Amino acid sequence: MSRALVLISLITVVTGACESKPERRESKVALDDLGDAILNSPASRIVSLSPVTTEMLFALGAGPRVVGRTHWDLYPEAAKAVQDLGNGMEPNVEAILGVHPDLVVLYASPSNRAAAVQLIKTGIATLAIRDDHLADFRRTLMLLARAIGDTITGRTIADSVERTLHAVQSMARPARPPTVFWHVWDKPIMTIGAGSYMNELVEIAGAKNIFGDLPEPSPQVTLEEIVRRNPDFILVGPATVQALRESPLWQSVPAVKAGHLLVVDTLLVARPGVRLGEAAKSLRALILKDTVR
Amino acid sequence: MKPRTWIILLVVLAVAALAGLALGPVSLAPGTVWHALFGDGDANAVAIVRVLRLPRIALGVVIGAGLGMSGAALQATLRNPLAEPYLLGVSGGAAVGAVIAVALHFTSLAVLPIAAFAGAAFAVTLVLLVARAAGARGDPRVLLMAGVVVGAFANAAVMVLLAGAPAETVRGALWWMMGSLSDATWQGTRWVAVYVIAGGALLLALSREIELLALGEDPAAALGVDVERATRRVYLAASLVAAVTVAGAGLVGFVGLVVPSIVRALGARSVRSVMLGAAIAGGALVVAADVVARTARAPAELPLGAVTALIGVPFFLSRLRRMT
Amino acid sequence: MIKFDDVVLRYPRAARAAVNGVSLVAPRGAITAIVGPNGSGKSTLVRALLGRIAPERGGVSLDDVRLETLTRREAARRVALVPQREEPAFPLVVRDFIGLGRYAFGGVWSGETPADRAAIEHASNRAGVSEFLQRRTTDLSGGEWQRVRIARALAQGGDALVLDEPTAFLDVAHEMGVFELLDTLAREGRAVLLVSHQLNLVARFATRIALLHNGALAAFGSPAEVMRGDLLEKVYEWPLVVSRDPAVGAPVLVPLRHRAPRSTQ
Repeated sequence: MSRALVLISLITVVTGACESKPERRESKVALDDLGDAILNSPASRIVSLSPVTTEMLFALGAGPRVVGRTHWDLYPEAAKAVQDLGNGMEPNVEAILGVHPDLVVLYASPSNRAAAVQLIKTGIATLAIRDDHLADFRRTLMLLARAIGDTITGRTIADSVERTLHAVQSMARPARPPTVFWHVWDKPIMTIGAGSYMNELVEIAGAKNIFGDLPEPSPQVTLEEIVRRNPDFILVGPATVQALRESPLWQSVPAVKAGHLLVVDTLLVARPGVRLGEAAKSLRALILKDTVR
Repeated sequence: MKPRTWIILLVVLAVAALAGLALGPVSLAPGTVWHALFGDGDANAVAIVRVLRLPRIALGVVIGAGLGMSGAALQATLRNPLAEPYLLGVSGGAAVGAVIAVALHFTSLAVLPIAAFAGAAFAVTLVLLVARAAGARGDPRVLLMAGVVVGAFANAAVMVLLAGAPAETVRGALWWMMGSLSDATWQGTRWVAVYVIAGGALLLALSREIELLALGEDPAAALGVDVERATRRVYLAASLVAAVTVAGAGLVGFVGLVVPSIVRALGARSVRSVMLGAAIAGGALVVAADVVARTARAPAELPLGAVTALIGVPFFLSRLRRMT
Repeated sequence: MIKFDDVVLRYPRAARAAVNGVSLVAPRGAITAIVGPNGSGKSTLVRALLGRIAPERGGVSLDDVRLETLTRREAARRVALVPQREEPAFPLVVRDFIGLGRYAFGGVWSGETPADRAAIEHASNRAGVSEFLQRRTTDLSGGEWQRVRIARALAQGGDALVLDEPTAFLDVAHEMGVFELLDTLAREGRAVLLVSHQLNLVARFATRIALLHNGALAAFGSPAEVMRGDLLEKVYEWPLVVSRDPAVGAPVLVPLRHRAPRSTQ
């Protein structure tokens, strides 16, 4: 119930220029637009406005301290019992204040900056994180671990996940890796690019994303281009796979015509959370049809 | 319009169609395109040309023709060169229908167009009822006002629906509202074509009445037109054609507004020749705009409505110049 | 030929009837004029002829055929109406404009028949607009525009011609031109019915004048009968004198500067 004496937030800046070299120190964190950040005492009432951070907090054993989550944070099971505060993007500051947190964790995006500023003004510590790349995983986890005052558990989890990822990455790769197209959204057609951790997962799993040359995290692409690049497999979520099969337009893609549609467990792979290792394993199993020991 | 001008218009349409076949986010050599048209050569090129590009061009021509004719008919009947096909609630109603469909996560290809058309048809009916309740007997101003009222209500509804919706729904709805030919299939295009041709034929059959309505209600009545019945038929036919195009490709603005003026500037005088000219020019415009939409920012695709909206700028500028 | 039989016309939600029991006849071979102050119901009578307002009581008939039994097309073939104002949304060539008068004769897909061509040519000649058939309607002077509209009405081929304020905005020469044309057309056997503010010209050319006042007929008769100072003063609520024009022998209305009316009766 105590409020942090020093209020500040650490917001890692969103734009690419600042992103290029994030500093990864545990005692001191990267500078941001709003100033330096030091967390004085472990937080005891945390609002987590991102499914990833909610997952991480529960994995760190800090589940009981989470007093608010977004509408979409449904993992683990226990998280469902936490109060639903609405959207994670452009959050409802009033609702957040209503649960009297001493720390608010949000996704570092320009649309959240206003909310962060408002919260800081009222004396609540905020922690804004970016989780687009795999490299962000360890840093985010450790930041949260520090915030709850248990860096040991944090390190344990981070090491375990990285071990699994490494194990998957070391598995035998075929001379020519299978090419995949990851269908993320339909109207317009969107996929993952180099700017997304999902692209890294695909590479770790031993495959190649046909649009890995595009820098954005979720670029928009055309069906023509997909036809030209001719992926071996299409990764698609369970809600959309049937529509893809039935669409006369998608039949022009040889992989669809041949039935090489792989259904991804979107709940598992959609978040760069503590289950990243499992996500990589499941992708490997899906695409290359083998499992790690 | 002189025969030579007609030929030029048809040639422009043909050139636009060829450009649509040959150009796209994936660059193909002309020879490849030619062979692919007949099913020969690289399988992927064949797929691109025959499955992806050809139905797209067909849909573009049909959409453009429908919008052109609808705009021409409404401009003459409402005696207003700024009238356009979406005037009587079509765009607002279709948007509501589409947003509801997207929000309810209907992924089937057929649902969205049907929902959009249903929304548009409902809105048009509402406009006509509102106008009738206001006591107008085909008075264009009352009808325009009713269209504004229903449109405003629809916009508010769309905003309310999108306000609480998740990001994906908003993105999907916005994408639809900006118009696109990217979902063109032969089956879908066939349906749109059937209704556009039927609606267009109806409008052509009313061209003599429209010609007289363009003089004013009293002169038209004096010359023998049943003004109320004729205007109602024109509004219904023009709006339903517009609603069908919206179902096929989302909201594609400015085509129905600009093309009739262009055709008149080319010398078309009678309502019938303006409508036919607008059909050809509209088809060419939409296909050309689609080429730009596909190639300007490859591999991403610009929304078709964004490209056609750009046409609006020089058009209104030139009208402004002519006014002063 | 055109008969208004005790016609009552009321606009929706109006307390007072715009036309309250008017009966008049416009026979063939004559010019019949409807005059009266603003708001006396003249335009409403015209609207009734256009079918835009249905009589609450009484009826309008053409050659003893009730108007409501005719379709608009049938009516247009019998009576041609030139409305007061007309502003086409788009410019037209005069010949095409006159050709629109043939609408009531054609089918949906029909083009111009020889009968249509003959009617258009005949009408253009009668109205004196043959020289500028290829000009555009937007390039015409006020007088030319009026004659072109009359030509279109003539192309309709009917026996009756109704004109609502045909000489508003015209100068003296054009005004006289139109009235003389109407006079000739009437002599050829048509029923010409016109609404006009131009009392003096009406007095010279009309065979009978209907004077409307507050929706009712104040008088209906020859110019000599209707053009009486006391009557006109009462209806128009303005002091005036009616004298006789020595040159043409027709009554002339002269409004006076405002002072108390001569007679209080």
